[in-house]
Amino acid sequence: MPILEVKDIKKKFDNSEILKGISFDMEEGQAISIIGSSGSGKTTLLRCLNFLERADEGTITVRGEKLFDASLPMESADALREKRLHFGMVFQQFNLFPQYTALENVTLAPGLLSGGQDNDAIIKRGKELLDQMGLSDRMDNYPHQLSGGQQQRVAIARALALKPDILCFDEPTSALDPELTGEVLRVIRELANKNTTMIIVTHEMAFARDVADEVIFMDGGVILEKGPAKEVINNPKEERTRQFLSSVQSGS
Amino acid sequence: MFWTVTLSLLEGFLATIKLFALTLVFSLPLGLLICFGSMNKLPLIRVPIRFLIWVVRGTPLMLQLLIIYYGPGIFLRLNVWGTSTSGRFMAALIAFVINYACYFSEIYRGGIQSIPVGQYEAAQVLGMTRWQTFKKVILLQLIKRIVPPISNEVITLVKDTSLARVIAVYEIIWNGQAFIKSSGIIWPLFYTGAFYLLFSGLLTLLFRYIEKKLSYFR
Repeated sequence: MPILEVKDIKKKFDNSEILKGISFDMEEGQAISIIGSSGSGKTTLLRCLNFLERADEGTITVRGEKLFDASLPMESADALREKRLHFGMVFQQFNLFPQYTALENVTLAPGLLSGGQDNDAIIKRGKELLDQMGLSDRMDNYPHQLSGGQQQRVAIARALALKPDILCFDEPTSALDPELTGEVLRVIRELANKNTTMIIVTHEMAFARDVADEVIFMDGGVILEKGPAKEVINNPKEERTRQFLSSVQSGS
Repeated sequence: MFWTVTLSLLEGFLATIKLFALTLVFSLPLGLLICFGSMNKLPLIRVPIRFLIWVVRGTPLMLQLLIIYYGPGIFLRLNVWGTSTSGRFMAALIAFVINYACYFSEIYRGGIQSIPVGQYEAAQVLGMTRWQTFKKVILLQLIKRIVPPISNEVITLVKDTSLARVIAVYEIIWNGQAFIKSSGIIWPLFYTGAFYLLFSGLLTLLFRYIEKKLSYFR
């Protein structure tokens, strides 16, 4: 059974149709990269999966459980909150909570969900996650004391702390200085090696090719091409994909 | 003479501080309520609240004091404030609370709107409820942002209390001025300035302390 089935997701803002029917499946342990020019709907798709936007049409199914069906009336905030926990989200701008230390950022949500129980276990797990991110010596630092790359790694640990089924990354390195992207890409690569199920929206083509199992190329709100990562990036079938890849690789 | 004046001014300053403190106690929370009203999705709630803020911020506080004190009697033939000192104090307090709540509401609104959407979204995807998001994520950031403008308003309020004398609330300036008539001396009026300075100085120190306490994050 696929871990995630997305069927015919459509989303309009005002009068422009951003997503025009997106369908894809993914298996547990897979990493999928979504590439495409800005405005192609990549980020909106991720936001629909995390229920930050409500899709106008379509369904989202995780492990056979239909989490979202646009044809049904809107759920209560509480129901939506539980469903959201199937997904983790790492934002382009990190969005760490500035008043909490790195460790507190990681343990806050699990602590709230457990209602104050198993605090020791939560802190232990938070420390393990930050260790894993290479931040053992940064646990008690506040976000403003960390570099962008370190902040993003804290954000990844924070998302992992809730053990999501699927971890989503929205251009995780786009807000970083070039010399800091490496450390973030490295931890994502390690997660991929551990078969973490991930959807990564990215502009790093080489990274998408090397780390992802599959690549989805989006253009104008549709999936134009989907296939094994190396194939799509090294030998795209569609003319539009080829154009996009050559403009990214030659340009800027 | 100096001690007579000092005692009289202290007595007036007590009324000043009472008006100051009670105004804050009621206007700080009321401001939050007005703030939520002014950001409400329903125009039926939002529009009248914004109208109120416009009127209150657009007219002099002195005029508001006079209207609240004399208005009910003149327009409604109602004697709501009675004839006692405490009635006049109550009228002044209500005028101050409404006035300052409107100013505070705008400070709150600016603070709330300056918190990046990403903070709410991050809390949302981490499964927090709206209340948890406000209490655990937003509130402290909000306080940090609004402390400087609030401290400005609070120090202005110390001095604005002197307006209450237009409806014969016996605050410190009233008492100082009384010596002109009774004893033909004007220095007690100037002397009142020392009380204001001392008090606003203490408040400045207090707010500086709070700001420092909140400076551990950005």
